[in-house]
Amino acid sequence: MRAEARSLPARPARPRGRELLLALPWIGPALLLIAGVVVFPAALMFFNSTREISISGIDQGSAGLDNYAELLAFPAFWPIVGRTIVWVVVVTAVTLVISLALAQLLDKAFPGRRIVRAAVIIPWAASVVMTTLVFYYGLEPYFGIVNTFLVDVGLIDTPQGYGWTKNPETAFGWSLVVGVFVSLPFVTYTLLAGLQSVSREVLEAADMDGASPWRRYLGVVLPQLRPAIAIATLIMIINVFNSLPILRTMTGSLPGYEADTIMTLIFKYIQTQHRLDVASALSVVGFLIVMAIVAVYLRVVRPMRED
Amino acid sequence: MHSTARRLGVAATAGITALALSSCGFGGGGSADGGSSSIDLLVPSYSDATQGLWEEIIDGFEADNPGTTVNLEVQSWDNLNDVVTTKIQAGQAPDIMNGGPFAGFAADELLYPAEEVVSPETLADFQDAFLENASVGDTVYGLPFIASARALFVNDALLEEAGVETPATWDELRDAATAVSGLGGGVAGYGMPLGSEEAQAEAAVWFYGGGGTFGDESEITIDTPENLAAAEAMKAMIDAGATQADPGATDRSPLFDIFVQGKIGMQIGLPPSVGQIEEGNPELEYTIAPIPTDDGSPFTLGVADHLMAFQNDGDKQEAITAFLDYVYSAEVYTPWVQGEGFLPTTKSGAEALAGEEALQPFLEALPDAQFYPSTNPRWSATDAAFKSLLGTIATDPAEDVLAAIQSQVDAG
Repeated sequence: MRAEARSLPARPARPRGRELLLALPWIGPALLLIAGVVVFPAALMFFNSTREISISGIDQGSAGLDNYAELLAFPAFWPIVGRTIVWVVVVTAVTLVISLALAQLLDKAFPGRRIVRAAVIIPWAASVVMTTLVFYYGLEPYFGIVNTFLVDVGLIDTPQGYGWTKNPETAFGWSLVVGVFVSLPFVTYTLLAGLQSVSREVLEAADMDGASPWRRYLGVVLPQLRPAIAIATLIMIINVFNSLPILRTMTGSLPGYEADTIMTLIFKYIQTQHRLDVASALSVVGFLIVMAIVAVYLRVVRPMRED
Repeated sequence: MHSTARRLGVAATAGITALALSSCGFGGGGSADGGSSSIDLLVPSYSDATQGLWEEIIDGFEADNPGTTVNLEVQSWDNLNDVVTTKIQAGQAPDIMNGGPFAGFAADELLYPAEEVVSPETLADFQDAFLENASVGDTVYGLPFIASARALFVNDALLEEAGVETPATWDELRDAATAVSGLGGGVAGYGMPLGSEEAQAEAAVWFYGGGGTFGDESEITIDTPENLAAAEAMKAMIDAGATQADPGATDRSPLFDIFVQGKIGMQIGLPPSVGQIEEGNPELEYTIAPIPTDDGSPFTLGVADHLMAFQNDGDKQEAITAFLDYVYSAEVYTPWVQGEGFLPTTKSGAEALAGEEALQPFLEALPDAQFYPSTNPRWSATDAAFKSLLGTIATDPAEDVLAAIQSQVDAG
C-alpha cells in the first residue's frame, strides 16, 4: 500500500455541546429507532434472564443468577457450547474457501458468465427452510432420493435406507453441508465484488515481474481482498451462530441434546419447556460467546490492518 | 432537502408505530363497548373439521344471545402454548381456552374456578373421574372437554401371515412383533413413536402397564424400579428389532400413517385413528384390542383436554357462563365430540353416544383408565423432559435416561 493512506487530514475537533444539540433533531429519530429495536429488546432479554418466569409467562420476582446456575449445571451445556463453536467455525471456514474459488471462477470472462453468475445467486432467493427441507426429504428413509440411490447402487442393503436425520452425528454433519450450501451465494458475491476492485495495473506489474499465477494470487490478489474477506467473515460468524432454521429442520426430530447448538437449545427451552427465564439467560450467554468469537477473530487475524 | 424531510417523516412514523405497538404489547387491550360483550376463544385444531364445528357452535350461541359475540382463534397444537403464553404476557389472555394442562395457569391465579363459570347443573353432569382429574386441591379449574383412551390397533393380515396371535402381555407382544418384523420388506412388528410429538404417551402406556406411574399431584417420580423394568422392556423390543427403525426420532402421526398403509403389525391408537383408517385405507383388515401389559391386566391411558376460563377484567363472567353452559348442553356438545371422534366427558353425552359401535372398545376400557399427573405443577416440565429425552432410550442405558428425565423435572 502506498503511503497516502497514512496522511489523512487531521481529525476534526470533537463537536461541542451546542453543536451536538443542533445535530439532535437530525439524528434523533435514528437514535430513537436504535433504542427501540436494538437497545430495548437486548435490555429486556438481560432483565428477563435474572427473573423467575412461570410457565404461563408471569414474572414471579427476581431469581438473581439462578437461571445461569441452572444452565451451567445442565450436563449437556458444555458439549453444546463446543458444538456451537464447531458449527460456526466449520461452516464459516469451508464456505470461505469454496467461495474464494467460485469468485475467482466467476471473475474470469467466459461465454455464458452472466448465466453462471445468476445460477450462483438464485438459490439465495429460496427460503432457507425450503432449501433445508429439500435436503431433509432427500435424506428421508423409505422415500428419500439419497437413500434410494445408495440402496440401488448397493452401498446400503436395507430397503428403507439409512436414517441420516435420525442419528445425531449424521444429522449434524448434513446440517453443516446445508449451512455451507446456503451461505455460498452471499460470500461468493461479496468476494467477487472485492475481486473486481483489485487494481489491474498491479496485476499487470506482477505479470511483468514474472510471478507465477499461484504466487500472484497469494502475493497480490489475496492481500487486496482482505477487506472483503473481513466483512464476509464477520457477517458469516454472526449469521451462522444465530442460524436456527437449518438445525431445527435437520435435527428437530432427534431426542436428547446430541446435535444441539445454543440456538436450538434456546428454542427447546422456549418451545417444549416454556422456560422463558432460562432461555433469556442462554441468549445472553450466546451473545457473549459470539462477541468473544468476533473479538478473537479481530485480534488474531486483524483483518482490517492496512499493510 | 425534500428527500431528507421525507426520510425524517418515515423515521418518525416508524418510531411512533413502534411505540404504539409496544404500548399495546405491554399495556393490555380490553374492549369498552358498553352493552355488548365479546368473548375471545382460543382453541387448538384437532382435525380439519375443528374450525367448522366451532363455528357452528358459535353461530348457534350468537343467535340465542344477541349482543354477545365470540371471536374464534384456531391454532395448531404445536403453537398453542406459545400463543397463549405470549397473550398472557401481553395482558391479553383469551377469555376461554381449550387446552391440555391447566395447573400452571391455576398456580398463577389466572383461571376462574369452574363453579364460577358454569351452572351447577352443568358441573354436576361431568363424569366424576374426570372432575377429579381436573382439580387442583379441592377446586375444579378445568372443565373436561373431550376424552380419549388408548387401545392396540392390530393389522390382522400381517399377524396372520407371521402366524401369531394378538398379544396380551409384554412377552407375547415382543414375540409377535419380532415375528411380524421378520416378514421383511420394510414391515415393522410394533410401531413405537418416541419422537418429540408424544413420547410421554408411549412412555405412560409402558410404565403404567407395568405397575409404575409418573407420580401424583404433589410428587413426580420417574426413576422407580417399576418404571425401569418397563423401560427395559421397551429397550428389549427395540434391541430385538421388533419396532420400526430409529424409534427415538419417530413421531406418532407420521408413524400411524404407515400403519394405515399396512406396513406395521401393531400400534397404540386413539378413537380418531378409526376415522383415519376409514379415510386413508378402508380395506385395511384390523382389530382394536386391549393394550398388552406386563401381566395382562387391563389398563388404558386416559387423556382429557379441558376448557378453561381466564379472569381478565372480571366483566365477562356472565357471558362466559352463558357460553360454557351452551357448549356443554347435550344437543350441542355431543355432535362436536362425535365430529372429532373423541369420547364425551359428560354423563348426558355418554348416554347420547351409547349406541356408537366404533367407540365401544374405548368406552369399555375407560373404567381402567389412568391419567397423567397433570394437576401437578411440574407436569409440564415432566412432559417436556419426556419429549426431549425418552427417545435416547434406543441408544443409552434405560437407567441413565430415567435419571436424566428425573433431574430435568427436578430442575424445572
